[in-house]
Amino acid sequence: MAQVLVFAETRGTSPRKAGLEAVTAARQLADATGGGEVHAFVAGPPGVGGVAEVLGQHGADVVVIVEHAGMATSNREVVAATLAARAKVGSYRAVLLPFSAQGREVGPQVAAKLDAPIVSDATEIKAAGDTLVVTHPAYANKVIATLEVTAPLAVVSLRPSAIAAAASPRTARTETMAPAIDPSAAKVAVKEVIEGGRGKLDLGEAPVIVAGGRGLKAAENFRLLEDLAAAFGNAAVGATRAVTDDGWRPHSDQIGQTGRQVSPQLYVAAGISGAIQHLAGMRTSRTIVAINKDKEAPIFKVADYGIVGDVLEIVPALTAAVRDAKARH
Amino acid sequence: MSASIVIFLFIAVLGAGFFALNVQRLVRYMRLGGSDDRTGEPFTRLKNVLTIGIAQTKIFRDPVAGAMHATIFWGFLVITAGTIEIFIQGVFPGFSYALFLPRPVFQVYAASQDAFAVLVLAAVAFALYRRLVLHPKRLEGDKLEHTDALIILSMIGGLMVTLLVTNACRAIGDPSAIGAERFASTALAAALAPMLSHPAAVGATSWWLHVLLVLAFLNYLPYSKHLHVATSLINVYLSNTSGPGQKGVMRPMDLEADVDHFGAADVEHLTWKNLLDGYSCTECGRCTAACPANITGKPLSPRKIVINTRQRLMEKAPLVTGDWMELLHRALVHGEGGDAAPTTAEAILGEHRLLDTYISEAELWACTSCRACVQECPVSIDQLEIINELRRYLVLTESRFPEEIQPAFESLERNGSPWAFSPSDRARWADGMDIPTMAEAFERGERPDVLFWVGCMGSFDDRAKKITVAFARILKACGIKFAILGQEEHCHGDPARRMGNEYLYQMLAKDTIGTLDRYEVKTIVTSCPHCFHQLGNEFPALGGNYEVIHHSTFIERLLEENRVPLQTDDGKRLTVAYHDSCYLGRYNDVYDAPRETLKRALPVVELLEPKRSRDRGLCCGAGGGRMWMEERTGKRINVERTEELLATGAEAIAVACPFCMTMIGDGVRAAESDVPVLDISEIVASRL
Amino acid sequence: MKIAVCIKRTPDSESRFRIAASSTAIDEAGLKFDIDDFASYAVEVALQLNEKQGPGETVAIAVGPDSVQETLRKAMSMGADRAVQLKTDAVPVDGLAVAKALAAELSAGGFDLVLFGKHAFDTAAGVVGTATAELMGIPCVTAATKLDIANGRGTARREIEGAAEIVEFALPAAVTIDEGIARPRYPSLKGIMAAKKKPLETKPAQLGPVRVRVKSMALPPERPAGRIIGEGAAAVPELVRLLQTEAKVL
Repeated sequence: MAQVLVFAETRGTSPRKAGLEAVTAARQLADATGGGEVHAFVAGPPGVGGVAEVLGQHGADVVVIVEHAGMATSNREVVAATLAARAKVGSYRAVLLPFSAQGREVGPQVAAKLDAPIVSDATEIKAAGDTLVVTHPAYANKVIATLEVTAPLAVVSLRPSAIAAAASPRTARTETMAPAIDPSAAKVAVKEVIEGGRGKLDLGEAPVIVAGGRGLKAAENFRLLEDLAAAFGNAAVGATRAVTDDGWRPHSDQIGQTGRQVSPQLYVAAGISGAIQHLAGMRTSRTIVAINKDKEAPIFKVADYGIVGDVLEIVPALTAAVRDAKARH
Repeated sequence: MSASIVIFLFIAVLGAGFFALNVQRLVRYMRLGGSDDRTGEPFTRLKNVLTIGIAQTKIFRDPVAGAMHATIFWGFLVITAGTIEIFIQGVFPGFSYALFLPRPVFQVYAASQDAFAVLVLAAVAFALYRRLVLHPKRLEGDKLEHTDALIILSMIGGLMVTLLVTNACRAIGDPSAIGAERFASTALAAALAPMLSHPAAVGATSWWLHVLLVLAFLNYLPYSKHLHVATSLINVYLSNTSGPGQKGVMRPMDLEADVDHFGAADVEHLTWKNLLDGYSCTECGRCTAACPANITGKPLSPRKIVINTRQRLMEKAPLVTGDWMELLHRALVHGEGGDAAPTTAEAILGEHRLLDTYISEAELWACTSCRACVQECPVSIDQLEIINELRRYLVLTESRFPEEIQPAFESLERNGSPWAFSPSDRARWADGMDIPTMAEAFERGERPDVLFWVGCMGSFDDRAKKITVAFARILKACGIKFAILGQEEHCHGDPARRMGNEYLYQMLAKDTIGTLDRYEVKTIVTSCPHCFHQLGNEFPALGGNYEVIHHSTFIERLLEENRVPLQTDDGKRLTVAYHDSCYLGRYNDVYDAPRETLKRALPVVELLEPKRSRDRGLCCGAGGGRMWMEERTGKRINVERTEELLATGAEAIAVACPFCMTMIGDGVRAAESDVPVLDISEIVASRL
Repeated sequence: MKIAVCIKRTPDSESRFRIAASSTAIDEAGLKFDIDDFASYAVEVALQLNEKQGPGETVAIAVGPDSVQETLRKAMSMGADRAVQLKTDAVPVDGLAVAKALAAELSAGGFDLVLFGKHAFDTAAGVVGTATAELMGIPCVTAATKLDIANGRGTARREIEGAAEIVEFALPAAVTIDEGIARPRYPSLKGIMAAKKKPLETKPAQLGPVRVRVKSMALPPERPAGRIIGEGAAAVPELVRLLQTEAKVL
């Protein structure tokens, strides 16, 4: 019977999806090792304790609540110090947390404080006797590593979306805890939060890229791609060298060997034939969709899904369909 | 000894002495440059002097200006004989070649003197008309010196007039002194006789004027861009641009040398030969008029590169050599791009240098290394070598280059190809074609006759892979025993070398030589002219010696031997415009093989030539590493070239280079045309 | 400033990987190794800071077998002044064990700033930098996309989901560097020659106990060959269905 401590990440006073996924993972790990308790840890401004109910829905037996007015913005040092302090007092088999922007920092800090081994970015955790067996995609997802962690207490961070949050309803007991350090004494102070990140999504960061080539026929037709990007909501618009050379788009939008090299989750190539210079910049994208009138175009060789036909007709149809799918989601 | 002889001797010695002093000074400046052995193969060099120099073959590439210049030049040679006669007369009055020459020979000599005097006068008149009225574009560069040209032309005209007048006055005084073969002089004598009361005095004055003009001309040269009169024949003799040796081969570099710089940033980093090129440039602008970068509005002018080299030498050398004769050489210091106004000696020796002060980074990176400038130069200047040396300095010493080529360098280093593709995908094009790798062939104990070097474009670019497959099909159809290197092939480093990265080049090239030697490779065929040039012409300097054949030549031989099983129905009639690849044409003189291949493969083909073709062909814009750089200024070179090709009205465009394929293909798409662009091997393979 | 940059040697990301016969590692035959991309960004940031701020020292540090010397020379060819190899037969996948070796070395070094890559391409764990800072007891900014240092204090930007934070901290501190912050310079031949003469010190790595090990490695299932799913706008519904159910990107 192993107890699992899990950091249920919140933003403000709301739970984050990645936090709920971590709770589900903790529940599954605890159940697989004989049904120990899952202790969910939340830290934030006053009111954050309100998430206890939803954490209970996802399988938390106990919710440890740390509330402090000084934690309106994320305070990683306080989270790490308090989480580690809690881990020391309970008898836990593992500390789980999401491999989020915050978890990326909190995980190693907790591990160092506890002198516990850590595995990051796990997609699966199993217990086998004294060891935890953790799956972790490495080498930019080109290799799947299975790691063995041999220690009484281990820290594991979980890849967001790898494990779906699932219901395992129960009424969680709540406990409160004071921050282990004073938030105002943090060594790294957050001075400003810029909502919306980089404003317009950067090509290097956008999970979806919609890119256009000469097949769009005119600069003004890039409006269709802007619309498609807007429908995705998390997309940036890119272009080929021919297009940026012709001044249809700024040079900073160029994707390819001489421009930006990108590998988003989804790459939609509209009216792009797929010259070597362009492929060198986007070939490593996870999923590639190509729309081109020439079915012999080299872009179809690298695309997962292709549609042959007029870009100016297909892109608006795709925009409508994506908008529809997002609305139903 | 009469007083006039004494005066003559005094003036002649003074003139010659001052000229000698200037020559010695210019030689001293030139020797600031690094060493370069140009003594070998005197017969080839002499041949160059006779063809390019004496016969003016390069000059005649512009027929009108060529005829004008050749007339003046040949006149100069012929009349120099007369000038010598006149100078001897200065010491021995009454001297004449007639004293020892057989009469008919003397008559030919005398007639030629008059004939050329008249021809040169006509040419000078045309030259003045051209400069003052016609203003040809290539002579209209930024800040070009015109007064200089006018002075020189006037002097030449003056020499001809005084020559004729001197003889005419002698004829008036003593009709028997001048034979009828001096038709111009006798005619002039007839015209002048009624007007002159003292023909002897006028004749003497004219004689003195002629002598003084000759000496003035001689001593004006070192202060003028017309220094080429004195240096060009020497330059042609010492140049390697038309051989001896393979054309276009970049100068080897010792990378282990313990030096504080690699490549050239200033004149003393160049060789003495590069500096002699500076002396020899007469700013005719033929190089710049042929430069694809310049034609399409980029900042590069090969003429400016050479002029700047001379200007910087003239700025710096007097200070370095401690020259007490440091005088104003206006025409040598000023001219196109001469923006570095003379400042203090500290500035000249301190922050001034050839790179940046005179020649900007943007000019250097605009070069496509197409060699059109070198091809055009009438005095065999090597503009490209200066550009290459400066590029080397930028990359090797200062790591300065357009940021977009860094991925190409990094990928060459890590993936062995200028594009970031996995080396293990290199032979994917051959899947299912049953083509052995060298390793497989060796394992079976076979020794293939030929290695097919595929190249990076042919391995990874989807369009170029079709060329690769087409050529492989031809090889198989002809029963050639060949193999590929497969994953053991990687870039030989040529793109890195052209972009100035000699270090990366040598690393890749030496490794390639190791692989080729391990498989005892003797003969290589390749469909890429850049690979062809590099493997065949530049590898020997690193110890790699192979017979390398471009696929156009290889296919032509196979066709000639009737070894290609072509289908006989030639129902397809096709008009084709062939685009010359620079590295095939100007670098290797392969002009006919691709054309012959096209004609033989399609007996009913009609071959059309674009406006610029063969050794005047316009680059596609991809050479010199431009393939990996942005083209943001001016018109795109490939568009300019494609327009010329499309203007022929041909039904298809043929190329023999995968880089040209990409550039011309893009150009055709930009023109929204659907004319197919085909490699010659594809045209042949389509009839298998 | 005295800046330490901890770097790692990793195979080129374009490589096509195979699993070694042991099935616990990748087959290194034919792979090209070089300084990790993120580590090279960190080196560039260090060099730029020292160039901007006047005299300073940039020290490259790597844990690993002698092959990392080549990687350390690469950092020195970019401009690092000297290098330290913390020698070990192999770099463990246990990030905390590596962090202990680095913390032991760095604590006595008197560095104003310690830089790392956000993570390394091979293990992609992002543990070593943050854990080292924690062990040293100095402030740490993880995955910075901007970094400025002035008057003994640092300002950095870090991206969080859908927003960004501007943070401040006092030196000495550690920062792990994300992409987009600086384009690593290309070493000149002059730099490569100079790097051959720069000091490279080798000492044994004091690794912590190794408690994370590779049990096995495998390649993910081959990406299915691309297919043309239809022509014209009529194919759009099928595309959206595939993006939702098969590719799971919508």
